[in-house]
Amino acid sequence: MAEVLRHRGIGTEAAGAGERPRRPSRRPRAHVAVFVAPFFVAFALFFLAPIGYAIHQSFFKLTSSGLGLTEPTLEFTGLGNYARALGDAAFTASIGRVLLFSLIEVPAMVVCSLALALLLDSARARFRAFFRVSFFLPYGVPGVIASLLWGFLYVPQTSPLVDALAAAGLPHDFLSPGMILPAIANIATWQFAGYNMLVLVAGLQAVPPELYEAARVDGAGELRIAWHIKVPLLRAPLILITVFTLIGTLQLFVEPLILKPMTTAINSDFTPNLAAYNQAFGQSDIHLASAEATLIAIMAFVISFGFLRLVNRKGNRAW
Amino acid sequence: MGSKVPGLARLTALAVAAGLAVAACGATEPEGGTAVGDPAQPVSLTFWSWVPNIQKAVDAFNASHPGIKVKLETITPGPDGGYAKMLAGVKAGNAPDVAQVGYDSLPSFLVNGALQDITEYAGDDAAKFVDWQWQTGVFGGKVYAIPQASGPMGFYYRKDLFDKWGIEAPKTWDDFAAAAKTIQAKDKKAYISTFAANQAPWMIALAQQAGQQWFGTEGDSWKVTIDNPDTRRMAAFWQKLLDDKLVKTEADMSNAWYKDLQTGAITGWIGGSWGDAIIRGNAPDTAGKWAVAPMPQWPGAAKTVSASWGGGSASAVLKGTKNAAAATEFAVWLNSAPESVNILLSAGYGWPSVKDTSQIPNLRKDDTVFPFYGGQNIWDVFKEADAAVTLDWRWPPVSDALYASLTDNAKAAVQGEGTLTDAFARTQQAMVEQMKAKGLSVTAGG
Repeated sequence: MAEVLRHRGIGTEAAGAGERPRRPSRRPRAHVAVFVAPFFVAFALFFLAPIGYAIHQSFFKLTSSGLGLTEPTLEFTGLGNYARALGDAAFTASIGRVLLFSLIEVPAMVVCSLALALLLDSARARFRAFFRVSFFLPYGVPGVIASLLWGFLYVPQTSPLVDALAAAGLPHDFLSPGMILPAIANIATWQFAGYNMLVLVAGLQAVPPELYEAARVDGAGELRIAWHIKVPLLRAPLILITVFTLIGTLQLFVEPLILKPMTTAINSDFTPNLAAYNQAFGQSDIHLASAEATLIAIMAFVISFGFLRLVNRKGNRAW
Repeated sequence: MGSKVPGLARLTALAVAAGLAVAACGATEPEGGTAVGDPAQPVSLTFWSWVPNIQKAVDAFNASHPGIKVKLETITPGPDGGYAKMLAGVKAGNAPDVAQVGYDSLPSFLVNGALQDITEYAGDDAAKFVDWQWQTGVFGGKVYAIPQASGPMGFYYRKDLFDKWGIEAPKTWDDFAAAAKTIQAKDKKAYISTFAANQAPWMIALAQQAGQQWFGTEGDSWKVTIDNPDTRRMAAFWQKLLDDKLVKTEADMSNAWYKDLQTGAITGWIGGSWGDAIIRGNAPDTAGKWAVAPMPQWPGAAKTVSASWGGGSASAVLKGTKNAAAATEFAVWLNSAPESVNILLSAGYGWPSVKDTSQIPNLRKDDTVFPFYGGQNIWDVFKEADAAVTLDWRWPPVSDALYASLTDNAKAAVQGEGTLTDAFARTQQAMVEQMKAKGLSVTAGG
């Protein structure tokens, strides 16, 4: 937790003045507090408190005895739930599965959104506004609807797509164990590539036009400009969307939940989030679910900040 | 839980206990049959349920019981979060007085300390209800819930296609396998049914009918016997059908399955009594072509044996209620008054838990249901099926874990990772571990 807070600059703010050499110490002003207080109250109530409660719950377990006819007792178990979660082969397999999924989804997402952004930004692009909206539209479709929609396209009995692919002799069993991860990656990319594209387009609009003019004077074509000017200047937004996608894949939940009834390839511990959901709402074990949720959060922090450290270490800082 | 004691002896013991309780309470408690509450200051009750149209039955109760005012709150179905909400409510001290709880989940509620002992108010109502259904709400001789409805199993099939291919409704499982073969020979695209690896209650019903039950008690300890010879025989039977590709493996009650029902690619379904509405609703163009037969039997069975899909549903009185007597009266009336049962039956909630169904007009003549099944009174089939459900089935206090584990293992088997027999063995192992983790005393058997 402290790690996050430091990164968000919250802990340092609250720590007060004095020990921080970088900024000149300022006298706290009362009217500022009035404006920021509502945020901190809401933040504490709806973000910190639930997280704190979940972590607290993760240290306990309900214990029955004998046949379980008497009321169970709440026991402190320390890190017992964490040990149980990590010792559960199904849960660790689900972590492996989302990591594998990240390997498919992150590159697919970055390449797709970059390609869309560059196409829209190219000098010859026509009807830019129309295409920008079209690419962005899937983002407006709720995840549940998107999964249902693609589900219909994946199920052989209802899909025109499967028939067409089968006729052409192409692989078309999207809901088989081997194809399920790419099939989910397809839904996620379809949904979010447009959004990530907008982030990149905004980044491109910040590029001074003189750079392009200079390149053209030097005889560079569109492809060259894209590769040597646009992509390097997009470093910061590219890292941003990579981190977004990375966190999104680790939290994969809606797509497998919706596709689960349509296939035998998705079980109740398919992703860590699904496993925690199953513990909490299927098996009423709030305590184990809290431990699993905490583990997912730690994993997301470690991996996303690890990635940021990795890309920022190689010389030029991203931001 | 005393599963070794025959049902009748248990009932007698219970009736005696209830009689004593009533006698002991003397004049301070109302006699059975007398309404609780004072019309001038009615007792308020909250009732949580997800059954469609149950409001009508609640309204009828309120109209006939001026001393009690029941407020219905519709919640998400139990397995989809409703149970979590109830358990959280009990913990937080704001649970409803009465709640809809599946038979399969009652032991979990008990283990979570969420059920109120209502023996003293409900003991003498036992006679109104079908024995096995009543027993699902009784633990250690104490009553915790009033049964509402069950889902006795039958075999729905496309009579027109069976007639065309010269097949009769299978009486035994051997007939079933033979029919599966004939259907595939006559039409490559048609199957007798699907093996629904997604449906734990369905697979459990198959095992329940096969013979030896899965959960029992020995003294103060649970005994888990999922991996038993009868279940293995059932698993091997379906594994052979899977190996020979005589059944489909898609999920039932999925879009793919509905489509197959419409086109005749699926020509049969071993389903619960409430399944008639599912077929009618999803394959309306096949009206008049369906029929229902009893569940196929294992060879050598002395009498017809049936099973129930996921047990059924009960009205449980939750811990924390201040009006256990009024809550019990409501629960009993809701599930036994002919007026109420008739409303619930037409809402499609399942097979009534009351013994005497002679007062339920919809069971004799149902103009919305019977024509779809070529005029057959399908309720007759389910009435017999409900009477043929085995009495000794016990749900474990971890039924949700059982469902999750069984479907995960069966799905793996359907994909070729091991066999169905392995899937049941793995489920037994998972159940023993799960119950141990909860601190329960448990042994594995077979």
